[in-house]
Amino acid sequence: MKKAYRDNEAFIEIKDLTFSYKKSPVILNNVSISFYKSEITAIIGPNGSGKTTLGKLMSGILSSEQGSVFLEGTNIKGITLGNIGKKVGYLFQQPERQLFNPTVKEEIGFAHLFMGEPKDKVDKKVSKIIEELSLQGLENSSPYKISRGERQRVALAAILINEPSFLILDEPTTGLDMIKKDKLSEILKNLQQQNIGMVIISHDKSFIKSNADRTLEVSGGEINEV
Amino acid sequence: MKFDPRTKLIMVFSLSTLAVFVIDIYLLLVVLLISIVVSNYFKENWDFLKRTKKFITLLIGIVLIQSIFSPAGEILLSINNFTILTTGGLAKGIRVILRMLIIIISATIMTGSSPREIIQALIQWKVPYEIAFMVSLSIRFIPILGEEAKDAFTAIQLRGVEIDKLNLTKRIKIYSYMFMPVLSGVIHRAKELSTSLEARAFRAYPDRSSYIKLELARKDYLIMFVSTLFTISILGIYIIMG
Repeated sequence: MKKAYRDNEAFIEIKDLTFSYKKSPVILNNVSISFYKSEITAIIGPNGSGKTTLGKLMSGILSSEQGSVFLEGTNIKGITLGNIGKKVGYLFQQPERQLFNPTVKEEIGFAHLFMGEPKDKVDKKVSKIIEELSLQGLENSSPYKISRGERQRVALAAILINEPSFLILDEPTTGLDMIKKDKLSEILKNLQQQNIGMVIISHDKSFIKSNADRTLEVSGGEINEV
Repeated sequence: MKFDPRTKLIMVFSLSTLAVFVIDIYLLLVVLLISIVVSNYFKENWDFLKRTKKFITLLIGIVLIQSIFSPAGEILLSINNFTILTTGGLAKGIRVILRMLIIIISATIMTGSSPREIIQALIQWKVPYEIAFMVSLSIRFIPILGEEAKDAFTAIQLRGVEIDKLNLTKRIKIYSYMFMPVLSGVIHRAKELSTSLEARAFRAYPDRSSYIKLELARKDYLIMFVSTLFTISILGIYIIMG
């Protein structure tokens, strides 16, 4: 496992956080942990241990009454999801849940066009990202009729157009063969060089070993460094 | 005390029939009160009422829209000759809200029975198994659909779309985008479900045996009789009085 330089300021900081779903036992019990932009952090743990819950708490999708999550020093509760999305990209376990348009090209540029950005500017950004994520030739395809790996890259492209500083990827290697996993590794390394921090929630030991700088295990409500 | 799902279905049917046919506001209030008492007797989950708080603006909106588009009686509120609230309109709006509440609250009576029991009740009423099974599937998938719609709504915001800053037209448009992932999920799930049903030989034989057998007790007959009689009497009075 490679060691990376860690800057002092945590990008996402979790302080004394306790979380449970309604009428269910506690999933995270008084946990405190920091995530840095300079690192790729892997989160592992058994099924149902709270890995995805931790990712959702980090991105403001879920919130807890007990404890706090800070994004660049600001409590995440005071930031709208729209503003969080400009800084933190979240790739869902099922990428099809975050695809809203009939074509790949429209999908990638949709949020920017919707918020009133000029079309030529958005088109330029879309073309650049399509090239970076090797999605050439799929511009006019339906995001629902392409392979799972391609669909995941489309969802990632749609996130990256926001130029986030941090990514949370939930089980990004599910359903990918070795070649596609290598392609994903290459993309993640490129992103890391662009100073984008990452959290990878995964079961895939070999993928974590070759990509992550540090590994955290979520189990029994606790988070421990492995 | 445990009641047969068929008894509960009759109660729900009676209350919602009254909700649709009754016009008098006071009588609607009585029906609502009965719905609340019955639903409470079955000790059902009242969490949904907390969620209805979010719809208060919608409810007020319904009253205003009803009042603006069907003005009647005395004017209560008008701005520059534009009538907003009238006594007749207000009454119509209140009626709509009462009807909605009766239908929602009476439907919660059924939440105490398991989907399997409801299917069995329908089958014993000679509803074809395929239809009864479809009903139970739709009940089971409602929470999943809700979760998917919630995920889509979160995902759309995390794409940098600030919903609060959008005007009403754009806000409605953004909701229409949410249909894409939800609809695609539904179609995908329906395909998988049909394959797995075929694989498990669904409808291979014309008759199905069942492990569960529902039996009506004396109290079930009594409640069914009282509910039906109550509904028919009120409807009868309405028809006779024109």
